[in-house]
Amino acid sequence: MDLDVMRKDLLECYHKSAIRGLKQSSKWSSELLLSLTKTMDEKRLHEDLSTDMNDSYTGFSMNDMIHVMTDPKYLLAKSCYDLSEYERTAFFTKDSMVSEIKFLYFYSRYLSAEKKRLDRMAETNCMATDSAIKLFTELKNELQDLYSSGEDFINDSYLLYVYAIVLLKLELNWEAMDVLSRSVRLDPLNWCSWHQLSLIIDEKSQLNSLQLPDHWFKRLFLGDVYLELQLNEDALNLYTTLQQWFTSCNYLLSQIAIAKHNLRDVDGAIDLFKQIRASDPARLDAMDIYSNLLYVKDMRTELSCLAHSANDIDPFRVETCCCIANFYSLRSQHPKAVVYFSRALQLNPRHLSAWTLMGHEYMEMKNTGAAIQAYRSAIKCNKRDYRAWYGLGQTYDILKMPAYCLYYYSVAHCLRPNDSRMMIATGETLEKLERNHDAIKCYWKAGGLALFKLALLYERLNENEKAALAYTDFISRASAADGADRQNTSSDVAHAYKFLANYHLNKGELKLAQMAAQKCITFSETRDEGKSLLKDIQKKCSQIDL
Amino acid sequence: MNSCSLDVQKWRHIRDDYIAGQQYKSAVFWSDKIVSLSAGHTDDVYQQAICFYHLNEFHRAIHCIKSRQLHTTVLSCRHLVAKCHFSAKEYKEALEVLEYDYNDTKSMDITGGDREGDNKFSAKEYKEALEVLEYDYNDTKSMDITGGDREGDNKWNSGIALLKGQIYEALDNRMIAITCFKDALKYDVFCYEAFYSLTQHQMLTRNEEEAIIGSLEFENQCTKDETKFVRFLYESQLKKYDKPGDITVPNEFSNILYENVDFMTTLAERHYYNCEYQQCFRITSQVLTRDLYHTQCLPIHLSCLMELKKTNALFDLAHKLVDLYPESSLSWFAVGCYYLLINKTDAARRFLSKATTLDNVLAPAWLLYGHSFAVESEHDQAMAAYFKASHLMRGCHLPLLYIGLEYGLTDNTKLAERFFKQALEIAPNDPFVLHELGVIAYQSSNFTSAEKHFRDALNIIKNRKEITVLPDKWEPLLNNMGHVLRKLKKYEEAIDFHKQALILSPQNPSTYSALGFVYSLMTKWNESVEYFHKALGLKRDDSFSTTMLGHAIEHLVTEISIFHDSTNGTENAVKYEKQTVITDFLLSKANEEKILPNVKITGSRSKSNIINTTPQPPDTPLPDLSANDCEMDISN
Repeated sequence: MDLDVMRKDLLECYHKSAIRGLKQSSKWSSELLLSLTKTMDEKRLHEDLSTDMNDSYTGFSMNDMIHVMTDPKYLLAKSCYDLSEYERTAFFTKDSMVSEIKFLYFYSRYLSAEKKRLDRMAETNCMATDSAIKLFTELKNELQDLYSSGEDFINDSYLLYVYAIVLLKLELNWEAMDVLSRSVRLDPLNWCSWHQLSLIIDEKSQLNSLQLPDHWFKRLFLGDVYLELQLNEDALNLYTTLQQWFTSCNYLLSQIAIAKHNLRDVDGAIDLFKQIRASDPARLDAMDIYSNLLYVKDMRTELSCLAHSANDIDPFRVETCCCIANFYSLRSQHPKAVVYFSRALQLNPRHLSAWTLMGHEYMEMKNTGAAIQAYRSAIKCNKRDYRAWYGLGQTYDILKMPAYCLYYYSVAHCLRPNDSRMMIATGETLEKLERNHDAIKCYWKAGGLALFKLALLYERLNENEKAALAYTDFISRASAADGADRQNTSSDVAHAYKFLANYHLNKGELKLAQMAAQKCITFSETRDEGKSLLKDIQKKCSQIDL
Repeated sequence: MNSCSLDVQKWRHIRDDYIAGQQYKSAVFWSDKIVSLSAGHTDDVYQQAICFYHLNEFHRAIHCIKSRQLHTTVLSCRHLVAKCHFSAKEYKEALEVLEYDYNDTKSMDITGGDREGDNKFSAKEYKEALEVLEYDYNDTKSMDITGGDREGDNKWNSGIALLKGQIYEALDNRMIAITCFKDALKYDVFCYEAFYSLTQHQMLTRNEEEAIIGSLEFENQCTKDETKFVRFLYESQLKKYDKPGDITVPNEFSNILYENVDFMTTLAERHYYNCEYQQCFRITSQVLTRDLYHTQCLPIHLSCLMELKKTNALFDLAHKLVDLYPESSLSWFAVGCYYLLINKTDAARRFLSKATTLDNVLAPAWLLYGHSFAVESEHDQAMAAYFKASHLMRGCHLPLLYIGLEYGLTDNTKLAERFFKQALEIAPNDPFVLHELGVIAYQSSNFTSAEKHFRDALNIIKNRKEITVLPDKWEPLLNNMGHVLRKLKKYEEAIDFHKQALILSPQNPSTYSALGFVYSLMTKWNESVEYFHKALGLKRDDSFSTTMLGHAIEHLVTEISIFHDSTNGTENAVKYEKQTVITDFLLSKANEEKILPNVKITGSRSKSNIINTTPQPPDTPLPDLSANDCEMDISN
């Protein structure tokens, strides 16, 4: 890839976004631009700007923009827009034929509807109110009309972007995907369309069915997609190669850190975040992920420090609220954690992990109703969030609704086929539903410490032979485990020995029985029983001896 | 007279100037003197009566003419007398004046049966008058009052016919009124008022309307281009609701009509009937900025405001209208609209009945009055109002449609069907009626014919020109189509229609639950569960979805084969048995639930003034600004 081309592309992306008030995308492009490896001195760059910009292959020309930027109508509309006076922006931009102004018109209407929706939500605390849906539907109808009739509209990448985000608001994802891919085909430098597209791709197979332009932005897009789809290895590789053009780019670093976080490479991710914070201390993007990592590692002081500094920088940011919530959660102040998660969600209702984490907090507070709602919202944002499905299963388990519970666990299991926690949970539920046969299969598949469950089940079913085998297996696994696990399983092991002692005793295998009974004595729970068992065994022994 | 050199001509000029300047008091004063000067010349008497009329001194005007017996001989005078009676609401007397010569003289035959004789008579009269008074007819605008030539004569005949029509209409004798209006148009193709009464008062069916336009004698009254122009203008005002196609403006007129408010109004009306409320609203707003009280545009605008639920704008407009035109029925109609929109039916009825008292033939007000009861499920009272409206609007199918709707809601499918059929006779191509027929067929479990009706309606909508996107009003049709196809076990197609409905009206819980239902019948439990979840996410207390979700999940759970192991034969059989049992249960459940939740919505559109039978949302005119108080304060 040619650095000059990249620089030019990023510049163009910046200006096109900035003129339309697409703030995230202009921030993104300038962040990349800053870290782009320098090949030319600043002077040449500026020469380039004045000469080459006009005949760049995308037809991008600064002159066109200057035309718009000196249009008083645009200036007024844009100032209103910058002050979040969206309705006013819409009023001044009505009926304009200039594509940038047209964009402002529809986009400010979209934002106004969104703002109303959020305000209402704060009021009633329910997901989507009717009036907001109506506003979006109205906007959709208008855009749909233009889309299916107007040539101009179809050929403007940014207008298509607005259409797509309106469709997404109405959960018409399929239609939106079409529009977005069209949008990036028209202008591969439209980063917001790329980004939006990355959020709605559900499966890797969809990538192939989409016709996407072969542009270097696509690689950045793919990185996003891989992270969304939890294809973390792929994302990691991709971002690492991209780093050769961008020296210490915080955007790329934080993406890599997120990938590592997903891969449970906690330490690696923490290191990267530390690096990012050193070079750009006021950057809040992705800091919620950092706080998750600190939470997992139980790094209280660091988390507290992060939460405080985030709060100093900007308390009204999703990331800040998540940091603070994690901070409270770690201190077991769950109600406060819930408050901050819900604040985060007021700021961005599509913040997936906040929904899931809030569900967990509610579970801690034994508020199953609220937990279910939180988990469901998480699933609404992203159907692939296995933690939310698992959480739903747990809540329904508590509510003693095994059918629902089984359904949720099985979905979670499908999403994480190799996670033994899901397997065990599914097995337990199946057991409750008296589907012992299936439950046994689950425990088998889960293996490891699930063998204890398996053995228990066999024991309950009076299949003592199998139970004994399973217990034996379990004991050998448990003794191989270390530290914490060992402590947790000690009572299970005790139970296993007790069963084995009885089992062997009944079968007359006194030696084995004696061994097991002796083990029983080493555990506090079974000490007495072990003693009486030993007595029985000795009695039997003496009988045989006699 | 001999010693006086007053020139009567000069005084006439003075009088005419005052009349033209609407200073009737002065005009009366001087015309009284002129009458004396000219020894009661017919025209002068007529002018004086005109002044009385304008001063609302109707009986004085009547007396002025009747005392001289002019109403028996002069058409214009007779017309004026009748008009005065009419204005004083003395319909019988007015009619007597007009019908007087029906039996009396052949020569005054105003129905125009014997035009030759009529002309002769008038001509004679004219000459006499001329001889006696040496009146300079060429000088004055009133020259044609006695109908010297055929054109002027026809004009008076037409005026008289129109007046008769209006009287008969006021007397509720609509059949005769129609004939009279038709006569008026026959005499004078430019008599728009008659045309207006015929079409806008919904007196004729579409075919009859077309027949009238066909029978108009343009040739004698205007040039070719004029004919084309007038014909086009009239045709653009014909009924639109059954097939509101596109109007193609002939090239030669497009420049003239481009910004004509009347023409824009008819365009807006078309959009309205196509359910394109936004476009319609845009046009009507434009019209109203240029002509704030355009009376023909206002009803459409009001209806649009109702459809778009712009309560605040409606409130403002109604207030303005009532302040400015407290005597106009339309103003009170607007107030009624507002109250109905904010769900205050009692107040709505109060103002609507005020509107109907002011103008008894304001059918839309009657319809709305009916709706105000329908919203509250007061079927009998609603129907009474609809019957009244249907009596008033013979040529409009909407009252019939609503009556049918009410019968349908009270489970009287036979009667409902009969009324829908009647409505269909008037408007054979109205998709709304076809849709309702489909619903009725569905309710009587006649699914194939329901499907046919729905498909017919859909084809009509889709065949309209210019339609790129179905208006979201049609979401119920698509959903109902889905329901019917589900009943006919065409599940794939049903899903397709439900999904189309979802695009028209996204985030609709009942569509989601319908989709879930179809999937569960197809035993696609995964999808089914997903859609029921979505439905419940939007509407938590939906008992149908809750029950169905439970069943679907139970099924899914029994079918879950986590390891994809083959189940043996017996197990399969058991599962199969279970499934059929539950499927039957689903079907009976569906009947119980009456899965056609959208029936009501279809009442949405009615003739130019319109109403929604769907329950309106509660009054939320202004966003609650306190919402922002909930902003977080993280500082502490």
